[in-house]
Amino acid sequence: MNSNNRLSILVVDDNPVNVKMLETCLAKEGYRVITALDGPSAREIVLREHPDLILLDIQMPEENGFDVIRSLKSKAATASIPVLFITGVSEIKAKLEGFELGAVDYITKPFETQEVIARVGLHLKLSIATNSLITSQAEKLKQITEAQVSLLTTPDQHPNANFGVHYIALQEAGGDFYEVLPITEEIYGYFIADFSGHDISTSYLTTSVKALLKQNCSPIYHPLESMKMINDVLVEILPAGKYLTANYVLLNRRKNQVTIISAGHPPVCYVPVDGAPELIELKGDVIGIFKDVLFGSKVIKVQKGDRLFLYTDGIIESLGQKIVWTEGAEKILTSCDAVRNVPIRQAPEAIFHHIRKGESPLEDDIVIVGFEI
Amino acid sequence: MDLKQMGENLGLEPVEFADIVTLFVTTAESDIEKIRKGVLHKDALSVSEAAHSLKGSSGNLGFLQMSDVALTAEKKASENNLTGFEDMTRILTDHLNEIKTLLKQV
Repeated sequence: MNSNNRLSILVVDDNPVNVKMLETCLAKEGYRVITALDGPSAREIVLREHPDLILLDIQMPEENGFDVIRSLKSKAATASIPVLFITGVSEIKAKLEGFELGAVDYITKPFETQEVIARVGLHLKLSIATNSLITSQAEKLKQITEAQVSLLTTPDQHPNANFGVHYIALQEAGGDFYEVLPITEEIYGYFIADFSGHDISTSYLTTSVKALLKQNCSPIYHPLESMKMINDVLVEILPAGKYLTANYVLLNRRKNQVTIISAGHPPVCYVPVDGAPELIELKGDVIGIFKDVLFGSKVIKVQKGDRLFLYTDGIIESLGQKIVWTEGAEKILTSCDAVRNVPIRQAPEAIFHHIRKGESPLEDDIVIVGFEI
Repeated sequence: MDLKQMGENLGLEPVEFADIVTLFVTTAESDIEKIRKGVLHKDALSVSEAAHSLKGSSGNLGFLQMSDVALTAEKKASENNLTGFEDMTRILTDHLNEIKTLLKQV
C-alpha cells in the first residue's frame, strides 16, 4: 500500500490489450495499477514496488508465469504477496501447478471484468486480514518477551547470591531462561534451562517451571529430588514432544559445596580460584518426557573465590559456522579463564563478548549465569 | 456488433473501450501477420503463440467469433497441423476490418 493508502496491483501479461483492459477496469475501482509485459520486468517491479496483489498470466514467451511465481515465493520479501493466475479455460494442469507453486486463485480467460474485480477484492481483503493477524500476533509475542524479561531475577534482588547474568532473547517467546532461588540465607539454587522449540506456549511453560522451582527447591529436598518432582509434574503438563534441558546447581556456603544436577544440558564450567577451569561433564535425561529419569549429579567442594558458570547452547552453537556445543564448549573454558579478574556481575557479559568477538549474527537465545562463592 | 454495448458489458465508458479496441486492432494485425508468416515458414510454434494471444485478447473484449477462430488455429498449430490457415486468416482479417469500421463510427 502506498502513502495514499491506495492498494496496488501488478498486472503481468505479454498481451498489451489484456494489460490495458485490466489496467482500465482496476483503476476505475481505485487501485493503483502497475503493469509488466514479461516475467523479468515483473520480478523487477515486484522488488521495487512491492504491490499488494499480482495478476499473472501463465503463458508468456521465454519466462512464463510459473517461473515468475517460483522466483517470488523463494524470496522472503515477496513470498507473501497474493498471486492470481490468468489461465486459459482448458489448462487444468496449469491451474493445479499454479496452486502448488503458491497461487491463491486463478482467473480463466476470456475473463469477465466484474469477476476479476470481485476476485481481486476478495483476495486483497484476505491478505489484509492475514497481515493484520500476523502483526497482531507478533505484537503479542513481543509483549510476552518483554514480560519474560521483566520477570527475570536480577542480581540486585538477591545480592547474597553473588551472581551475574547475560541474557539475550533473540526470538519472541524464547525458550531459554534461568532462575536464582534463595533457599536460605546461605543456600542458593541456580537454575538454567532451554525449552525445545520457540512458540507462544514456551513462555507460559517457563512461568510454570519457575513456580515449580519455588515449590520444590527447599532445604528438605536433595536437589536430585527437587528435579525429579519437577520432572514428574512436567511430564503431565507438557505438550507431546516438548521438553527442556537444564542444569541446577545448589550452593551451600556453610558446607562449602555445590551440588550439580544435569538434565541433558551443556556442562557447567567450574573455575577454581587457584586452578584451571573445568567442564563438569554429567550424563542425564532431559526433563518432561519420561517419569523414570536419571539425572547426572556431582558434588564439588568449593572455596571462597571459586566460580561456576551455567549457559545455554546458543553461546557456542552456530549453524552458520557448523559448530556444535561439544566443540564449542572448549571456547567456554578459555573465556571463563580469561575473565577471572572481571567482577562476577559483569563476567557473564564479558564471556559473551570474549566468545563471540563480533562474529556471525546470533542464531539462538543466549543465557549465561555465573556465581562466585 | 455494438461496440458501445460491448464496452458497457465490461463496465467501461465508450471512450475507454474505444482506446482498448484501438490497441487491440494494432496487436491483432500483428498476430494475424505472425500467423501468416508462421504458416509460410512452417513454424507451428509461432503460429500457436500468435493464435493464443489473439484468442485471449479478442475473447476478453467480447469478439467471440474471432476468439473461436483463433482457438481453432491455436489447437491445429499445437498439433503441428498447418492446413486450412488461408481460410482462417481471411476470416480473422474480415472480422478485424469490421471492427475497424465500427471503431470509426464511435
